[in-house]
Amino acid sequence: MDGSIIKDDLSALVEDRVDQGVFRVDRSVYTDAEIFEREVQQIFEKCWIFLCHESQVANHGDYFWTEIGRQPVFVHRQEDGSLKCFINACSHRAAILTPFRQGNAKTLTCRFHGWSYKCSGACIGIKNEEPDTDRSHFDLREIATLDTYGGFVFGSLSADVPTLDDWLGEAKAWIDLMVVQSPDGLEVVPGSSTYAIDGNWKFQAENSVDGYHVSTVHRVFAHTIAARESRGEYTGIKKTEAGRISGGVPTGCYDLGNGHMAVWAQHTTPEVRPVWEAKDRLEKELTPGQVEWILTKGRNLYIFPNVMLMDNPSTQIRVMKPHAADQVDISVYCIAPKGESDTARAGRLRKFEDFYLTAGMATSDDVAALEDTQEGSLATGAKWNEFTRGMGSIIEGQDSAAALLGFTPAACTENWDHEIHYHGFYRQWLKMLKGDWPG
Amino acid sequence: MTDLQQEVTNLIYRESTLLDRRKWDDWIDLYTEDAIYWVPSWANEEETTDDPELQLNLIYLRNRGGLEDRVFRIESRDSYASVPLDRTVHVVGNVLIDKENGDEIEATANCIIHTYGKKGGLTRGSLYDFSLRRVDGALRITRKKITFIDDRLEGPIDVYHL
Repeated sequence: MDGSIIKDDLSALVEDRVDQGVFRVDRSVYTDAEIFEREVQQIFEKCWIFLCHESQVANHGDYFWTEIGRQPVFVHRQEDGSLKCFINACSHRAAILTPFRQGNAKTLTCRFHGWSYKCSGACIGIKNEEPDTDRSHFDLREIATLDTYGGFVFGSLSADVPTLDDWLGEAKAWIDLMVVQSPDGLEVVPGSSTYAIDGNWKFQAENSVDGYHVSTVHRVFAHTIAARESRGEYTGIKKTEAGRISGGVPTGCYDLGNGHMAVWAQHTTPEVRPVWEAKDRLEKELTPGQVEWILTKGRNLYIFPNVMLMDNPSTQIRVMKPHAADQVDISVYCIAPKGESDTARAGRLRKFEDFYLTAGMATSDDVAALEDTQEGSLATGAKWNEFTRGMGSIIEGQDSAAALLGFTPAACTENWDHEIHYHGFYRQWLKMLKGDWPG
Repeated sequence: MTDLQQEVTNLIYRESTLLDRRKWDDWIDLYTEDAIYWVPSWANEEETTDDPELQLNLIYLRNRGGLEDRVFRIESRDSYASVPLDRTVHVVGNVLIDKENGDEIEATANCIIHTYGKKGGLTRGSLYDFSLRRVDGALRITRKKITFIDDRLEGPIDVYHL
């Protein structure tokens, strides 16, 4: 097929005419298998992909097995403390090398034919080796690029990427808001959950920064928590806050550039947040803008294309692994400041369990909604998803809240019911799908 | 079968029947006010988390009010994941009494849960660890730990799926 025709067809999937009040996306972007294949190749196999948090590979030999797109890879902590990431397949006949999702092995021995590899990736053992074998030919294949920001580990199968710093750009100020909560950094708390959504990965991306659904989908969560409070249960830091759900609090939505998006809403009872115990120290060490943002603004950050960092009722890393146009697996982890009190840690975890799991009382409702949108998207008789709310009040650059923290979004509005941040997401998506990135 | 074995077995049967028949209030009544309801998450492929306070659980309810939250949400008919409500059948077996100490009893059981909902039929498994207490002559649940063997979860998981 002629490449230019593909490009023309792809451009037709996103109607980007903001000056005429139009921004809409063809629903086939959520359902079409060919578009999905192209996303895997042009986005997931070319972009910076979140791999894991450093605390998940803290010690020499610790490994963490994940996927870039659909390709299995593992991050391995080296003897000198650095990190490497390898294709997770034996150089011989492709068996996965890590017996567990996460573990420790200073030498990895393939369980199929017994070939072994040092932490560095060097092939050091071949069972019944034949004469004149050049083992170095069989060293593990390292991925093209690896870097970390604030303890968050990213990698890319492509060397043709901007620096991680440049890629994260304005999202860094949001990541910092989590990282600086402890002088010792963050750690992933033991335990996690993975759930399968019968839905497109972009629905999850959208939902993670969709303030507009909160007062409908999570209304029942707010009512449930209100009923709990009327019984006098769980006060102070043990309380799960739901005040922002019913609306009427200051909010905002941001297109952070490079497809990254974010929303925030003001907490009505910030003193129940686990981080509140660190207030005095934060006020000494951080800028007033950072302190206000950390303590009083619940935040959801989406980093294109596969990870979300939430600091809302609790703190979460949410990782997406797309398997098909209508299939995405989500893994969620509680990430917390190292050294916080047991009381704060327990409060953080209970809020997490209340809200953030498919066994919880809010994420389960999100997933049900996303699966409905997937089914609805099969109705090609009505083919557009509209992202028009807030078009009349777009601020290019900073609003007052962004100025307070000191980051500069591509665009924003002072209302998380708005949808203008999705414009940045779909512009980045289209650019990459067309092969026009990094340029 | 001893009288106690029969009594414990009947209680565990009754609990699953009340969930399948959606008799939520009667289900809650099987629990004491201070009952703990705990579903750990998987720490790795072979072990669950084991410190419910300081590690992540799928569900950790520290008194009967936590069960009331769940029932409130189900009965509100305002929960996307709970309308329409999945149909469930629990089949309980392997009921064994581990310890008997006056009015305090510990028992284990297994459960196969067949669920039918938007995704069609799903079959899942749970290991149950019960602590029971005799209150006013009748056995009540003071602690239920559910080891839900599924890891990659399909569909919502609520108290009636487990």
